[in-house]
Amino acid sequence: MTEKKIQDWRKIIVALREYGIYFALAAVVIAFSILSPEFRTPENILLILLQVSVIGILAIGELFTILTAGIDLSVGSLLAIAGMFSALFAQQDSPQLSLALAFLLPVVIGVLGGLLNGSVIAGAGVNPLIVTLGTLTAFRGFVVWYRVNPIYNLAPGYRWIGQSSLGPLPLPVLVLIAVAALAGIALNYTRFGRYVYAVGGNEQAALAAGINVKLIKLAVYVVSGLCVGIGALVFTSRLGAAQAISGEGFNLQAIAAVVVGGASLFGGRGTVSKTLVGALIIGTLFNGLVMLNVSSPVQQMVIGGIIIGAVWLDGVLRKKM
Amino acid sequence: MISLNNIRKNFAAIQAVDGVDLEIFPGEVHALVGENGAGKSTLMRVLAGFYPDYEGSISIEGKPVKVASVRMAKRMGIALVHQELSLVPELTIAENIFLGDEPAATVPGFISRRKALEQADKLLQEIGVNLDPRKKISQLSVAYRQLVEIAKGLSVKPRVLILDEPTSSLTAPEIKDLFRVIRKLTAMNTAVIYISHKLDEVFEIADRITVMRDGKKIATEPKDKWDEKRLISAMVGREFSSLFPHSHACDGKELAMEVSGLSRPGAFQNVSFQLHRGEVLGIYGLMGAGRTELSEALFGLKPATSGEVKIFGKAVKIKSSWAAKSLGLALVPEDRRGRGLVLMHSIGNNLSLPTLKYFSALGFVKRAQEKTEILKVMKEFEIQAEPSAPVETLSGGNQQKVVIGKWLIRPPRILILDEPTRGIDVGAKAEVHAAIDRLAAKGMAIILISSELPEVLGMSDRVLVMREGELVCEYSRPEANPENLGAAAAGVCI
Repeated sequence: MTEKKIQDWRKIIVALREYGIYFALAAVVIAFSILSPEFRTPENILLILLQVSVIGILAIGELFTILTAGIDLSVGSLLAIAGMFSALFAQQDSPQLSLALAFLLPVVIGVLGGLLNGSVIAGAGVNPLIVTLGTLTAFRGFVVWYRVNPIYNLAPGYRWIGQSSLGPLPLPVLVLIAVAALAGIALNYTRFGRYVYAVGGNEQAALAAGINVKLIKLAVYVVSGLCVGIGALVFTSRLGAAQAISGEGFNLQAIAAVVVGGASLFGGRGTVSKTLVGALIIGTLFNGLVMLNVSSPVQQMVIGGIIIGAVWLDGVLRKKM
Repeated sequence: MISLNNIRKNFAAIQAVDGVDLEIFPGEVHALVGENGAGKSTLMRVLAGFYPDYEGSISIEGKPVKVASVRMAKRMGIALVHQELSLVPELTIAENIFLGDEPAATVPGFISRRKALEQADKLLQEIGVNLDPRKKISQLSVAYRQLVEIAKGLSVKPRVLILDEPTSSLTAPEIKDLFRVIRKLTAMNTAVIYISHKLDEVFEIADRITVMRDGKKIATEPKDKWDEKRLISAMVGREFSSLFPHSHACDGKELAMEVSGLSRPGAFQNVSFQLHRGEVLGIYGLMGAGRTELSEALFGLKPATSGEVKIFGKAVKIKSSWAAKSLGLALVPEDRRGRGLVLMHSIGNNLSLPTLKYFSALGFVKRAQEKTEILKVMKEFEIQAEPSAPVETLSGGNQQKVVIGKWLIRPPRILILDEPTRGIDVGAKAEVHAAIDRLAAKGMAIILISSELPEVLGMSDRVLVMREGELVCEYSRPEANPENLGAAAAGVCI
């Protein structure tokens, strides 16, 4: 191969690595559009966006923890607690004050849950996988113990967040966009964002640069908790109901979105926009396979395979440099 | 005799080795020196069969050969001991020595542990190393691992043994041991090719010295024909006024730091010293003497448990690295890749990391100002690269310049340098030394921890010697010499 050709190949590989995920999303959308007439309707596209919104919000919080080489497995369970307490104050004919609490509480609970995770991880130095595996179980146990019966028929004044639209766009999608924009700004333009990347890129180097690593670690779990709180509000409001089993498996979907989006589980690498695309790819796959009448177990196998394949491909392209 | 003729090897666009001729005679120590990226390691890897796609010819005892694989090279008697240690920590010495080449037992397909142990023991005896081949590598010190690597290289009965930077993590007595082993090998007519940055070692051990630069051979001459200055000029390609500039003068009037009775059990005890504004205070000692631990305590990474520290007259407690930073301290750690850099991130982000606070408002980074500051430091340190390039793409010397440079965007009052020039090439070394001198002249107080005698002697205004966790002796610049520092490190103050 001539030098020029090698250079050209290198450019293609770099481009694939940088933008491959966008091509992948386009490919999935185009493939389903060809295969299924039901898929390619505007209503369905909006439905996918709506379906992705909660996982997307959780994934953005998850991204912060993964960027520091941590992980938050507890998001699904924490979402159930936050949703349950939110719903308690949002039942039919609740007074205004109670509704205000219903909006505020999930966010407060999310932050408190994140603080708990973060303080054990950063303060006591316990491995994040273990800590959040523990709280995954404990949070779920708590909400089931607290109230096993679902709360239905939430007040209309509460349901608008999850169920109304602004123009064609459902409100949850707008919430997702807002969360993503804020997260993107935080990661790219603030000192905090730089420190998050540095702590994940090399914790020892971050320490030796005089960065308060513990504080950053605590903060990312709080951010994750905050996202869970917002996600819980959107989720509960959209459903108009809260259940103790809500959010099961959300943690793995959120992590999958981050990882398919090219973030490294070893920290230091990943972006908000690609995490969103990761969430969209997974959401589109679920939706498209349903449209093609693929049975649920088969869907799961296909998507599982695609997650592994995506991460493998990312690794291959990275090594080619 | 092994001769290499017109060897070339390129990696994509880079011509790593560009038409090199080299002759290796039996029983000689042939030193190969040059800056990072000069092509020394690549040339040796060609010889050892790592790059079968080389151009040019190699002949052994006059017979042309094609070195097409590592296995083949081994069969021809060429053994390479890696720069990065390549032993499996959880296997024993014997298992490592014969890894991939285990002695066969009488039953086909089985390996003979007894034979392996016997042969390993013999090899270790041959180089005069007293080690039980049943010991696991993970239980050995770095120095012994290096010797096991050599024994492993010898297991193929080599004609030529290539040692690539063998002493980069060894202490002075360990280096002496290594040299003894090398002399034993050459006495048995084995040729040794010795790649090193450390010129004093090269002058001690080599019979002939070859200088490489930019993939080309500059010259091969017997040791006596070279002197240090000419060797450096040949390596770098330009003249050097001095490798150890010392133009600043410290008046010793203003105390920058006063440490008394600092201890951390198991690391260092009862350390007391004073550091002045504009002073370069050398701390010499053997590896494991507690110098790095002391630097980590001073910078709050692993705080001391007792003792007092005063900074510019004010008593302080340094409990964390961020506390240390806000007091005006900075640390350039010994472990460049592990502690000094976030390798996967850009040069620019690495440079601005510790001082981001100074160009951000309300938590937002002022990017334009950040970029200006980054470019200024890169220019000052002659780091020629794009600020957006990953720092891992830089050579070792340039990486080290980033590790030091990142503190100089907002210069600290007290700078602690832990082995600031370890493993970097002469050109970069000279630049680092010039920077130390420059900063001291501007009034910065500098602690220079180094295991390299010429560096400590050449750069310091005062030298402290540390041994087994204690400061044992102190010498002023005129008093300090290789003899008393060496003796002090070994336990006798003269």
